[in-house]
Amino acid sequence: MISLNNIEKVYRTSSIETLALANINLHIKAGEFVSIMGPSGCGKSTLLNLMGLLDEPSRGTVEVGGQVVTQYRDKELARLRNQNIGFIFQSFHLINDLSVLDNVEIPLLYRKGDSTGPSRRKLAEEALERVGLSNRMKHFPNQLSGGQKQRVAIARAIVGRPSIILADEPTGNLDSAMGNEIMNILQGLNTDGATIVMVTHDETMAKKTHRLVRLFDGSMVGDSILMSNA
Amino acid sequence: MIRHLFTLIWNKKRTHALLLIEILASFLVLFGVTSLIIYNFRNYAEPVGFNYQNRWAISMDWGDMPDSVSYPLRQQLKQRVLAYPQVIAASISSGNYPFSNSTSNGRPRYNGVQFNVFNYFVDPDYAKTLEMAVLEGRWYDRADESTVVPQVVVTRDLIDKVFGKGQPGVGKLLINDEDKKDKKRIIGVVGNFKQDGEFSPTTSCIFYRASKTDWSNVLLVQVQPGTDAAFEGNMMRELGQMVKGWNLEVSYLADQRVSKQRFTLVPMIIFLVVSTFLLINVALGLFGVLNVSITRRRGEIGLRRALGATEGSISRQFVGEIWVLATFALVLGLILAAQFPLMNVFDLDASVYLTAMVVSVLVIYLIVTLCALYPSRQAATIQPATALHEE
Ligand SMILES: Nc1ncnc2c1ncn2[C@@H]1O[C@H](COP(=O)(O)OP(=O)(O)O)[C@@H](O)[C@H]1O
Ligand SMILES: [Mg+2]
Repeated sequence: MISLNNIEKVYRTSSIETLALANINLHIKAGEFVSIMGPSGCGKSTLLNLMGLLDEPSRGTVEVGGQVVTQYRDKELARLRNQNIGFIFQSFHLINDLSVLDNVEIPLLYRKGDSTGPSRRKLAEEALERVGLSNRMKHFPNQLSGGQKQRVAIARAIVGRPSIILADEPTGNLDSAMGNEIMNILQGLNTDGATIVMVTHDETMAKKTHRLVRLFDGSMVGDSILMSNA
Repeated sequence: MIRHLFTLIWNKKRTHALLLIEILASFLVLFGVTSLIIYNFRNYAEPVGFNYQNRWAISMDWGDMPDSVSYPLRQQLKQRVLAYPQVIAASISSGNYPFSNSTSNGRPRYNGVQFNVFNYFVDPDYAKTLEMAVLEGRWYDRADESTVVPQVVVTRDLIDKVFGKGQPGVGKLLINDEDKKDKKRIIGVVGNFKQDGEFSPTTSCIFYRASKTDWSNVLLVQVQPGTDAAFEGNMMRELGQMVKGWNLEVSYLADQRVSKQRFTLVPMIIFLVVSTFLLINVALGLFGVLNVSITRRRGEIGLRRALGATEGSISRQFVGEIWVLATFALVLGLILAAQFPLMNVFDLDASVYLTAMVVSVLVIYLIVTLCALYPSRQAATIQPATALHEE
């Protein structure tokens, strides 16, 4: 589903160069639920951004669905992100000036084709139902708890029915009860066929996934299949 | 997407209130200025209806001499003037000749229509002296001096108002609704007669025959092109000797026109300059606000990119947002502006306001678009990963 081949990522700012990732080879199969762990600053988000086509590697290639996308132009990348990938972030990234329903609809607005207002609305309502927030559709993000916000973000990630979900510390800002709720939703989505890559700091969350990749200082230092879940 | 932008702007209305007021205010100022300019230039496009080049006005002040005594002297002056080879034509007129500072007007009611009418008391040579085109009928001549019903020449504008647009006027009677004995017979129709020049509106005028006792105290003279001050001095000295004790003063219509025009042009230029500064100010403010808001909204930009927005759709969003905001302001502005024609505030043609509305709306959209273009390009080039990383 996603392949990272010989990836190196260097961040260059005016004064410093940071080697965020080096020599990464990682293949994610369709239907897998992969967790990525590692200390802060080791390159987890960078890795996820490369998989999500939000950034370009300094060296190496990224394949999504068997196609090398490294040379793709902005429009094609945007279309791939829109149709194939759903993002979930630690800080939710909801737009505070839009209602829950309007937030969830956003990915559909960037979809070419004949999606009408009512049809978008229906899909958004379905997605919110899926995360158990049917009764909060008219609310605004600042009227919600952290767990509810993250559920909105999940609804937004799945509204376009992507095959891949990339979650960057989705439970990082939540207490364990809310974290478990989110984890249950993600597991359900995975059961229904979504490929999920999740960055986490929480061993108990990681243990519920199929496969655990460990990063340290920009390099992969572990890649293990968790047999009990697979 | 448009609905999405409307929702976004609507939900942020408090943040945008100031910007909205700013756009609204600049629209209203722009509307005022363009109305004024359009009004003036529409008038300008209409011919003045006479020729002012090489026309001189000699004003005659005969002190406390009775009018009946001064009248034959005035006639003699006219004949003397006509005797100069440099003079082509001459006519006796009331003091409200073109570009003079005097007017004579009233608001009579004819045929149920009440409107402003300018009155001129002039002699049979007036039209010829000022090269006025008689469209219909004729100018009066010496033969019809003492008719029972006074004979008048009127402008086309008056016929249009009283008898309907394009209706013939010659032969018709003008009867004052308030005083049925006050009747005049129309014997001729002229085109425009814009006493104050190009920028003044078309007016309804009645030209009466100058009588012996009225205040016809100006001698209009058409001279050969190139007639100089030396001739003028000579002529005025000779005329002065004919009417000792009178005060004669000459002025050139072309010069008077220039000073009249300043009355219109100077305020127009001042308004234009002030509103240009205002618009530049608003544009800079808008530009600044957009720049700041784009910096503040990097996270949102990164998010939208992650959800599938192309660079193009990000910059379109920012331009679109400002259009939506401008639209809100313009709808309010148009409602306010529409009151001018609806309540007929300044007695201007509604089409002047309508044109001004269209022009102002277009200018506002143009300005906001130009202001949004650069910031929105900037927004589009933000790397999504970088933008998300910063939050
Ligand atoms: N946009 C960026 N510009 C410069 N340096 C960055 C950028 N994003 C990440 N980095 C650096 O790259 C390294 C890896 O960052 P990141 O992938 O965010 O780590 P993690 O998510 O594991 O905490 C860090 O040293 C970080 O400071
Ligand atoms: Mg991170």
